[in-house]
Amino acid sequence: MSNRYTIHRRSLLGGGAALAAGAAFPAMAQDNKRIVIGTWGGDYSRLLAKNIETPLLAPKGWDVVKDEANDPPRRAKVLAERSLRRGTSDIQGVSAANMYEMNEQGTIEQLDYSKIPNSANLIPAMKYPYGVGHIFSGKVVLYNPKLMAAPAGFADTLDPKHGAKLGIIDIQYQYTMLAAGMASGGSVGNFEPGKERLIACKKAGARIYPSNEAFAQALKTEEIACGIMWKARAVQWQNAGINVSTVAPKEGVPMYVSGFVMPKNAPNKAGAYAYLDAMLAPSAQENFAIDMGYNPTVTNAKVAPELRERIGFTEEEQKRLVDLDYGYMAKNDSAFKEWWDKSFKG
Amino acid sequence: MTDTAIAHGPPAAVRRRGDGWTATALLTPATIFVAISLFAPLAILFRYSLNEFIPAKKLMVEALTLANYVKFFTDPYYTAILGTTVKIAVLVTLVCLVLGFPLAYVVARTQSRWKHLLIILIVLPLFVGNSVRAAGWMVVFGSKGFVNATLMGIGLIDRPLEIMFTENAVIIGIIAVNLPFMVLSLQSVIEGIDRAVEEAAFSLGAPPATMFRRVLWPLAMPGILAGTILTFILAMNAYATPFLLGGPLFKMMAPLVYNQFTQQTNWPFGGAIAFVLMAVTLALTLAANLILQRRARG
Repeated sequence: MSNRYTIHRRSLLGGGAALAAGAAFPAMAQDNKRIVIGTWGGDYSRLLAKNIETPLLAPKGWDVVKDEANDPPRRAKVLAERSLRRGTSDIQGVSAANMYEMNEQGTIEQLDYSKIPNSANLIPAMKYPYGVGHIFSGKVVLYNPKLMAAPAGFADTLDPKHGAKLGIIDIQYQYTMLAAGMASGGSVGNFEPGKERLIACKKAGARIYPSNEAFAQALKTEEIACGIMWKARAVQWQNAGINVSTVAPKEGVPMYVSGFVMPKNAPNKAGAYAYLDAMLAPSAQENFAIDMGYNPTVTNAKVAPELRERIGFTEEEQKRLVDLDYGYMAKNDSAFKEWWDKSFKG
Repeated sequence: MTDTAIAHGPPAAVRRRGDGWTATALLTPATIFVAISLFAPLAILFRYSLNEFIPAKKLMVEALTLANYVKFFTDPYYTAILGTTVKIAVLVTLVCLVLGFPLAYVVARTQSRWKHLLIILIVLPLFVGNSVRAAGWMVVFGSKGFVNATLMGIGLIDRPLEIMFTENAVIIGIIAVNLPFMVLSLQSVIEGIDRAVEEAAFSLGAPPATMFRRVLWPLAMPGILAGTILTFILAMNAYATPFLLGGPLFKMMAPLVYNQFTQQTNWPFGGAIAFVLMAVTLALTLAANLILQRRARG
């Protein structure tokens, strides 16, 4: 009787073990429900949470963890983890050019589209064997209508006549070289003719900014009057009150696709597929168009006509949309960057 | 027995063995930590720096070549960046010494009850991260920033000065980051110099300049060495300040290393640049050390 409420040593140990075992199960279950996503910080990351993770993934019990950084360090991390059995991320957001490059490096998984039901409505051009296009926009000319007349295209913008009123973004070196190439008779597969044009612009005083945001700031303070950038960014900056208009260049509108890939050693591939599927849901795509000014990559997303007019391209402009030559860009990227650093900036 | 032990201590042999074990126990964790976290990555990085890089595929290929080092030293673009880095590090160190010495002297010698507050004020900038401080400088230096707005407001200039994204912005930024390290190194040593020594020099007829040159400077030499070494190393390896204040056209070694690793994924060349930076920093630090010490002795 007196021992009735005494806890015995054995039963204590047994109970402890049972508790520990019980505690381990929910932890494992939680791990399976965790998706680690590598993405840019700032607006993109915030909008992924707002439009995809909170409304579509959280209700199904998915717990999304973000690894926020610019894409070069994230790509370097995936490359560094290549030999590991389990990597540290399930899905990575990169541009189409970088998706191509990562695939060449052999670090990313070939996708099984049957596991992404929403991909049935994906625009065919956005369906890469190794990645999914999430949003897209085009490289256009940006100018301040208060300070200058509308330029006709890339040649009219990347022109020494603008002197220090032309702004160039350092991290956009590939697309700047592409635009200069197209302006000087080159193509998506030949940037060489543009080099001379860029050097002439730099000699005439063109300003070089480290980031997209620094370029926006310079547009705002009227330090510069024109430059080239994604149309979606121009829409975002218009929303922020910056006096900027866009022109779809007559030489062609190079497409920019931002997408997602899955590292081969992703610890939670089911989670990665769930994410890829959720990001193609019409509601998520529609909200990205509203919040970020990018065009949906699925055909069943409904974008209001006036918004489509601002972010999209007219039928006539759509004919000028050009996809990039990712193979050419990947093969020559090191050489381009070296030229950009040494000859153009140096 | 116990009393004896307390009075005379344990026999010499016992004490030595005991001390040895204690020393080993104390040294081991730090040694293992340094070995794993410093030397192992360095060894791997050095091995990488001897590899080859295929630009078309952005892949590293196993090899045993000095080509990356040769590329660095034969290309004027890269040697110019090394030159700029050394020039800025030397300049920043000198300015920190000139600005820091009087400040350290005053802090060391003051009898004020606010002395602790003074020291905290010097340390205060270190509470804020490098990049946060650089962001602050960006606001101050911008073409419509604090400096330009003030100067234009009072009518001293009619066009904004170009400060942001220039070498001057980087130099000012690094000095601001490094000055507290110099002041603290000097202050702790000057505090240990007996005031009576300075007074003795004065009472023997030495003017202040002579006292400084013959008494204070040589006695403060350990602090000067520690301060200059610390400042120089920090300036050579500065990353956030040149990256944020120097802008896209300004180049120093640490951002170059980062660029090679992340933007270009050229690990072999990035590794080689990292080792060049480390070797040059080490060599210049040792050389300056030897020269200063010889001067002090002479």
